[in-house]
Amino acid sequence: MLGRLMGQLPVVSRTKRFHLAQKDWLPYAMIAPAVVLVSVILVYPALTAVRASLFDMNLLRMFETEFVGLANYKKLLFKDDIFLGSVLRTFRWTGIVVVVQTCLALPVALFLNLKFGWRGVLRAIVLIPWVIPTAVTAIIWVYMFDANFGVVNELLVRLGVIQSYIPWIADKKGSFFIVAMAMVWHGFPFMVIMLLAALQSFPQDLYEAARIDGAGIWQSFRYVTLPQLMPTILLVLLLRSMWLSHHVDLIYLITDGGPGVANFTIPIYAFNLAGIEMRIGYASAVAVILAIMLLFAAQVYIRYIEKSREYLE
Amino acid sequence: MRVKRHVFRQHFRTLLLIIGTALIVFYCLMPFYWVLSVSITPEQKFYARDVRFIPAEVTLANYGNLFDVLPFERYFLNSTIVASTTVAFSLLLAIPAAYSFARFRFRGRHLLIRSLLLLYMIPTVVLLVPLLIILKTLGMINTYRGLILAEASNTIPFAIWLLIGFFMALPRELEEAALVDGCTPLGALIRVVLPLSLPGIVAAGIFIFIAAWNHFMYAFMFASGEEIKTLPVVLRYFIRGESGIFWGTIMASATITTLPVFAVFMFFQKYLIGGMTAGSVKG
Repeated sequence: MLGRLMGQLPVVSRTKRFHLAQKDWLPYAMIAPAVVLVSVILVYPALTAVRASLFDMNLLRMFETEFVGLANYKKLLFKDDIFLGSVLRTFRWTGIVVVVQTCLALPVALFLNLKFGWRGVLRAIVLIPWVIPTAVTAIIWVYMFDANFGVVNELLVRLGVIQSYIPWIADKKGSFFIVAMAMVWHGFPFMVIMLLAALQSFPQDLYEAARIDGAGIWQSFRYVTLPQLMPTILLVLLLRSMWLSHHVDLIYLITDGGPGVANFTIPIYAFNLAGIEMRIGYASAVAVILAIMLLFAAQVYIRYIEKSREYLE
Repeated sequence: MRVKRHVFRQHFRTLLLIIGTALIVFYCLMPFYWVLSVSITPEQKFYARDVRFIPAEVTLANYGNLFDVLPFERYFLNSTIVASTTVAFSLLLAIPAAYSFARFRFRGRHLLIRSLLLLYMIPTVVLLVPLLIILKTLGMINTYRGLILAEASNTIPFAIWLLIGFFMALPRELEEAALVDGCTPLGALIRVVLPLSLPGIVAAGIFIFIAAWNHFMYAFMFASGEEIKTLPVVLRYFIRGESGIFWGTIMASATITTLPVFAVFMFFQKYLIGGMTAGSVKG
């Protein structure tokens, strides 16, 4: 009551009044539905996964579930060759895709930063691979490399590079190559937009100054653009690497992780253990290790975000 | 002489622009060209090894076939229901939460925003089995509700995070003026803040729609029943060749699957770019 009265006193500044007008419970009431839901579908499941990773648990024989402590983790790290292979393949997959995407996205972003008439249209066209559904992306690349009807085989035969059609998808390296190419295509628009947004925020006078000092195109790129762009490139590399290392959809849609374990990254291995073999205890341990790796990377990201977004403080 | 050189440079620049544009357009559109081209090529052509770069005949038979052989309209409807309900549900919860985080200072706020970011980075595979068990317990396997809940675990943290940025960017004075004029804080949110932050809300909505339309894994695990299947799950069976369906029909289904997201993209293109740069880790 007093608060409300004070709020109406003319001597109180506007901002002060704004604060007094709030009810203490209101901020909590507004976040409550989201917090409750997130607790049920994110926090609780995550804790369940950590707990499950400490058990020998199989969906096919649930009654034999027993607590094994860290045994799953021990087995993973010291005795499981498929897991160690998956770790290496995760790095290979993430590293190759993210580097190729950057090498592709950087020149495209620089190009789109030039001034020309149809720039707006071209910008929209660049986004199209990102808009195309993941499952359709998978279909496109599986079709292009198809052993019987694929255009890639046909083109290579016509050019005389290969003698007969090759079943690329059945080959270890071939299938990895297909998924990686599909992902590069599907994901590079995101990078272009991030880099372009950064490029457009750079002050123009630096370029003027460089030109007056006699810098050519290459020099102004090397000494003006690149140093300014570096933080964004690093951020995008980090974000994309995190995203790629836990990505399941495209790899699973195109290859199922195969042939054999040729495309088993950590998340694919975890999914295979849980969804196919029903070994959910062990699968949870694999998934939790992935989550721990990502949380380390997330710390770097959060530190960056806290610098640029003041409201986290 | 100088003028001539200038004109030459001008032409040279135009030439380079055209070459660059051609390369970019080719790389971005050529893969999808095959989807369209094969979808309008008569199907029997594909029994033989007969790869044509331009279809010799044009037909819409593959599209008809799709609806004759499969309950494709059912799958399409499923995807539409799941994607649009996920948008509505996520925004309904995310808007008040994001506004509260952006405008009010309260105990635990910093901790909650931080946890939100960390929770958002939990990989899908960690949640897969626990969500399966939860949805089974609640009897929500193979229901729209179940799949929408699962999708929300991804879209709600994202939407809150995106919208906090948009609400922060609005000048505080607007709401203060509304409050001085006798609005309640909630009234200020609905009458002043929401209309002004519409671009941000639209961007969030589009992202959620595209994500929910495209996501495969949750739909595959929690909603693979014939009545409830969404398009990505159907397309996966096509890719495996388990369906006995040939490329013409597959590409027709791929075209139809792409249409809604493409339409959304065309209409709201300008909102998307602002949203993309706000930082997304998942989806």
